[in-house]
Amino acid sequence: MDNINVLIIEDTPEQSDALIKVLLENNYTVVGVARNFTDALKLFYENTIDIIIIDVFLDGKPDGITFAESINIIPNASKPFVFLTSSKDRQIFERAKLTKPFSFLMKPFNELEILYAIEMAVEKFYEQTNVFLGEEQDTVISDDHLFIKKKNALKKVSINDILYIEVEERYCNIITEKEKFVILISLTKISDLLDKNKFIKTHRNTIVNADKIEEIILADNLIILKGNHKINLSDTYKDFIKKMNILS
Amino acid sequence: MYSASLFSQSKIANNILNIESKKRAEIFKEETNFRKAQHYFEVNNWDSTLVYSMRHLSISSNKELNDYCHYFRGFTFHKKKLFKEAKLELNLISKKFIFYPLANKTLGEISMQLKEFKKAIEYFSQIENPSITNKQGFKASTIYQNIGTCYLHLNQFEKAEEYLFKSKNLKEKENDNGSLLNLYINIANLYYVQYKDEQAFPYFEKSYLLSKKVNDFNKKWDASLNMAVVEENRGNYKKALEYRKEAEQWNDSLNNQNKVWAVADYEKKFAVAQKQKQIKVLEVENQLKNTQRNSLFFSAIGLLILLTGGVYMYTQKAKSAKTILIQRNKLDQLNANKDQLFSIVSHDLRSSVNALKTSNSKLSDSLQTKNYEELNQLITQNSSIANDTYSLLDNLLHWAMLQTKQLYFHKESVHLYSIVQQIEYNYKSLLQEKEIRFENVVPKNIFLFVDLDSLKIIFRNLLDNAIKFSKHNDEIRFYTAEINSEFCQIIIEDSGIGMSQNTISELLQDSETLVKKNNSEIIGTGLGLQLCKQMTAKNGGTLSIQSEINKGTKIILTFSKITKNG
Repeated sequence: MDNINVLIIEDTPEQSDALIKVLLENNYTVVGVARNFTDALKLFYENTIDIIIIDVFLDGKPDGITFAESINIIPNASKPFVFLTSSKDRQIFERAKLTKPFSFLMKPFNELEILYAIEMAVEKFYEQTNVFLGEEQDTVISDDHLFIKKKNALKKVSINDILYIEVEERYCNIITEKEKFVILISLTKISDLLDKNKFIKTHRNTIVNADKIEEIILADNLIILKGNHKINLSDTYKDFIKKMNILS
Repeated sequence: MYSASLFSQSKIANNILNIESKKRAEIFKEETNFRKAQHYFEVNNWDSTLVYSMRHLSISSNKELNDYCHYFRGFTFHKKKLFKEAKLELNLISKKFIFYPLANKTLGEISMQLKEFKKAIEYFSQIENPSITNKQGFKASTIYQNIGTCYLHLNQFEKAEEYLFKSKNLKEKENDNGSLLNLYINIANLYYVQYKDEQAFPYFEKSYLLSKKVNDFNKKWDASLNMAVVEENRGNYKKALEYRKEAEQWNDSLNNQNKVWAVADYEKKFAVAQKQKQIKVLEVENQLKNTQRNSLFFSAIGLLILLTGGVYMYTQKAKSAKTILIQRNKLDQLNANKDQLFSIVSHDLRSSVNALKTSNSKLSDSLQTKNYEELNQLITQNSSIANDTYSLLDNLLHWAMLQTKQLYFHKESVHLYSIVQQIEYNYKSLLQEKEIRFENVVPKNIFLFVDLDSLKIIFRNLLDNAIKFSKHNDEIRFYTAEINSEFCQIIIEDSGIGMSQNTISELLQDSETLVKKNNSEIIGTGLGLQLCKQMTAKNGGTLSIQSEINKGTKIILTFSKITKNG
């Protein structure tokens, strides 16, 4: 599990310091703090970023929104935004609204509000609302990461690292090469959200990352994954083999 | 020098015929053409007679009526001097026709006109018997005269004399001066052409004397001219000259009469023209009147429209004036409210800042005297004053934005539990200081559909109030009660000092007036609760208050929630 990388775009040091303090306390990684529009773009392209916290006004100009707008134009570059603002000015909000999805954080803010805003931004961005605060699920699944809520903070896991997923009632055991952990999500939900060509159901409670398969022993109904993980293969789900490119 | 009057006309002759034909017309009522022909014949309208008799003949096969029609036509043609046609028509009459003798008479007259005297005598001799003539409505004397005239023309003087004298005998009894005059002239001519001047002269004289009695200038002229010629022949020139002169005179009279007629005709025409003119003038007058009437009518309508328009405008104006008055009153009240709000807020601010000022001077005093114990207490006090002032200003800002409709408002899914936690986070120190227990027992699976920031403002104010009106060791709880699948109640309960029913109703009043609270220790504007009320309403929720003095207060909010599928 990795920390979430946060980019802060804020021209006032006191504000950014307060933010950094809260984020670090909650195990977020602050990639950098940009004081203006140009720095922001530079930092954005140089680093892997998961979430951006943007002050609407940089040096009295609404450059924060401009930044969000310019990021939104680039395909696949956009990330979840949290807008920081001290005014409820309708015009600013109307403009910011166009850079959907968005989340707002009103100044002055406290620790809980920051964390809440970040979670909302992730949920809205990946269009899976009411996840982190509900009682049925704690994971938002994007194309390449799982965003998992652990205690107060979010964590992420790269989908490519996953070997297989084992379902136990409302929980899923995620097994990567390095670790093993539990998330709260139903099997139907997780199989809907994951790429069906990549993750294959081999058993009624097992989903396997096809990229990690080393060997399939049909005689023993066994699949061997990287790291020598042995998985049972049920007859019902054998069909997937036909779709695989088998080297001869 | 034969006289012009060869025969005598027979106008009266038709009387009996008319009566008889009328009877027929009445018997055969359905024969409208016949009736019309008969009618026109009777009134001597010859053209119409021809038209309708022809129509009748072409349709009807009633022999008797056809005979009548043929007679009408024959007579009419005769009158119009179309002798050939007249003869043809009359010859078509059947011999059984009651008025056949009449046809004979007409034929005879035609023959005379055509100078076929022998034929004429034939026709006339068939009807000379007086027994016939009387029934047919013409006089035997006329027939005798006609026959006599014919013989005269044929130079059979003896016969002519016989008939003329027969006629004379009858006519002298009839007292018809005109035809008697003609007869006398004929007799005179009879003798005259036989050179029996001595016999002729008395008749000329007789005719001359008779001519004095008649009004016909033509006859007078004839008679006097005859006398003149006779006297001349007798060599009596003086008398001849006298008669000539008289004849001239009568001729002149005749001419005069013609002139008089022409003048009369002219006058008539003139009169007609005059009438025509008058009619035209009248027409023009009429037109004028019409146009006058029309213009009057239209102007009346115009006036009416103007009047109604005026009345409408007046009422509209009165109405708008009324609305303006109401609006002005409302505006005045609103302005007064605003002024009141201003004074309260500035008073609060002033006292807060003043407290801060005195506290700060105390702080510097303490620093100088190095009284560190008091220092800490003062700082806490300062920060609480600052917090209060801040929340007051925050409320004021939101109030202003709400009033000017500048507030951004966006409803979305909001996690109730987290928001309560976030609000409580800011009041942690205050709660600890007052030793108030805080409990958030909101279920974690409730998501409301509201505007996040306005919800925060509502909670902040309500929690602030709850803390303000709570004593040491009191308790504040946030909890929910589900009403149905669409709405959720959020209850903020405290065990504080509570308030009276009066205060509650004042607080919940719909008017925008602000309530100045009676609690002298805790000064508030009531702005916070007003803001809560309006924000709740804007979110489509409700706000109600339950309270008991010294027991505590319950604020009950209702909001719509997100219904989760499954």
